Amino acid sequence: MADLESRLTKCFALAFPELDRREISSASTASLASWNSLTGITLIALVEEEFSLNVSPEDVPDLISFDLILHYLRRVSPEISRDAGA
Amino acid sequence: MALAVWDILFSAGADDCSQQPSLPDFDDEMKLAEALSIIHSAPVDGPQLRVALLCGFTPLHLETFLRAHLCKLFPDRSPVVQTGLYGDLLGNLQRATDISVAVVVIEWPDLDPRLGLRRLGSWEPSQLPDILAEVTRSCDLLQNAMAALARNIPIVVGFPTLPLVPVSFSRPARASEFALELRSRIALLGAALSHIAGVRIVDPQRLDSLSSFQRQDVNSDLASGFPYTLAHASALAELLAELVVNRHPKKGLITDLDDTVWRGIVGEVGVQGISWDLESQSQIHGLYQQLLRSLVATGTLIAVASKNDRSLVAEAFASREPILREKDVFPFEVHWGPKSESVARILAAWNISADDVVCVDDSTMDLAEIKSRHPAAECLLFPRDNPQEAYELLERLRDLFGKDRISEEDDLRAASLRNRAQLQYDAQQASPEAAADFLRFIDGRLTLNSKKQPLDPRSLELVNKTNQFNLNGRRFQESEWQNWLTAPESVLVAASYRDKYGPLGKIAVIGGDLVNGASNGNSSAKRRLCIRTWVMSCRAFSRLIEYECARWLFAKFDVDELEFDFLPTARNTPMQNFLQQVRNAPAGPHCRLSREQFAETCPAPSHIVEESPNG
Repeated sequence: MADLESRLTKCFALAFPELDRREISSASTASLASWNSLTGITLIALVEEEFSLNVSPEDVPDLISFDLILHYLRRVSPEISRDAGA
Repeated sequence: MALAVWDILFSAGADDCSQQPSLPDFDDEMKLAEALSIIHSAPVDGPQLRVALLCGFTPLHLETFLRAHLCKLFPDRSPVVQTGLYGDLLGNLQRATDISVAVVVIEWPDLDPRLGLRRLGSWEPSQLPDILAEVTRSCDLLQNAMAALARNIPIVVGFPTLPLVPVSFSRPARASEFALELRSRIALLGAALSHIAGVRIVDPQRLDSLSSFQRQDVNSDLASGFPYTLAHASALAELLAELVVNRHPKKGLITDLDDTVWRGIVGEVGVQGISWDLESQSQIHGLYQQLLRSLVATGTLIAVASKNDRSLVAEAFASREPILREKDVFPFEVHWGPKSESVARILAAWNISADDVVCVDDSTMDLAEIKSRHPAAECLLFPRDNPQEAYELLERLRDLFGKDRISEEDDLRAASLRNRAQLQYDAQQASPEAAADFLRFIDGRLTLNSKKQPLDPRSLELVNKTNQFNLNGRRFQESEWQNWLTAPESVLVAASYRDKYGPLGKIAVIGGDLVNGASNGNSSAKRRLCIRTWVMSCRAFSRLIEYECARWLFAKFDVDELEFDFLPTARNTPMQNFLQQVRNAPAGPHCRLSREQFAETCPAPSHIVEESPNG
């Protein structure tokens, strides 16, 4: 199974196809002009689909960078991290 | 020999043949990640397909899924999906311009905001009559706006798919008067729109089969204005995209008889032993016959390919009077030879290619044998021991042969094919010297109509499905066709034909642009008709109708030359032969035919040619 980080990277690549793979790990709403409300919703939907989870509406405003989403995934779904060998 | 048969069975298409028809499975839904991958890998430089997605909610993932499904259905084009303003479906309809197709998705809040989650009004019982009145008014406005839009472009319409909000005072298990009244208004709107040419409505039953799970996403609706779950958006988009495509139905069905049209092997159980009724547990065969007869009435060609005794089959049709009548079938290929040879003869009699037909048989081996020689034919197994699967086959056949509407020509098709076979037989009996006289003997009458009718579906259908006598194989989207025909210099000629063998209906369409030589600054340049499309049904071959059409074009439009936007295709040999013969030179792109040249090469007139009183 692909590890957590690479699966999240895949979600980012689909939501922001213009982004270079090397730029993804540092992506945030501050650094990425195309990360607006609509692409943000698409990104969260991709994450939910990829990891089979529902992101709580209260958590969404905090998920504003690659690192924060990665941290969130490790927190809310430890079994994903464990399965992925993270 | 047996080895060869089994080789065919297991290597040359047995998988295709044994594929059981089934409705799309919910598990097969497209995921959002897959949709985005498809969109990102689609060609960006193909001809654009401009589709407007018109809805009152935030289109968000529905737009993504619709675009992805369009990319799959139109792999050579670049679908562009335009959207409108949030909460203004009516305005979006009125502002839709410069598009090929409009996809209209109506949800409850578009009919009255009180039926949505994002606007607070009142759900008091006293308000219900007012909501109904508002919904009625909205339906009227939407009907007018969609009817106006459908005059210019095709539109696909989806009616509310989400559960009603708990506005009614009754328990959810009970259908309230209010909800039933509300749905009846939607049904009336749908019925009214269904009569308008160019309007295609999503079938709710079909959507139910694709999207039976949870459809509404309250969190998403409240957060972003997008009310659907991803699964529902995917299923709805798939159906919407399918209706954007102007898919052409298959033309002919070749069926087996024993354990297919009827239960039993007539050679073993005798004519009285075969059945298709409830009492004999063979009702599914009766339903199959019922469907075949319905297909005949919609212009589908039905033939029989059966390994059987011809006299027994004739007796079965004569004495048992099945629902599928003997006169519904042409031709019968009943003998003990290979089925693939029967199919080859049937295709020749119909003058269509294998990819236009579906073969239905209860024998996987026979289907594999057919598939080995006619790989383009769609071969479907009749599951004789499983009525549920056989019923799904009926649904699959309806899908393959489904049409938007039935034309006058559909009613004539089977009869005219029989008559064509008779005509060819009669012509073969005539001596070469008498061949020219023969056409005069058949009392042919060609009626030409030059009135431009962009919304005439038969003309566009003929252009888009004809392969052999086809100038260039070019297909048109409805909007493209309509836009072209609104140009003042464009001309459209439709030809209908009848002779002593019966009417053929509308059999040819010619479209082009008139070019006045002097307008190019060259006073000596000739006035010509640049023909962009010219098709003729194969049912009208062997009658020299194409020459009569050319003769009429010169006279009607008073042109010095015909210019042909010709392109060779794999199947337009009859057109290539015609151009070669009439020009005394091989056909090429933009080749021309002068009036003088035509006068030298054309045969003597052989039919009565008249212009339709309507133009």
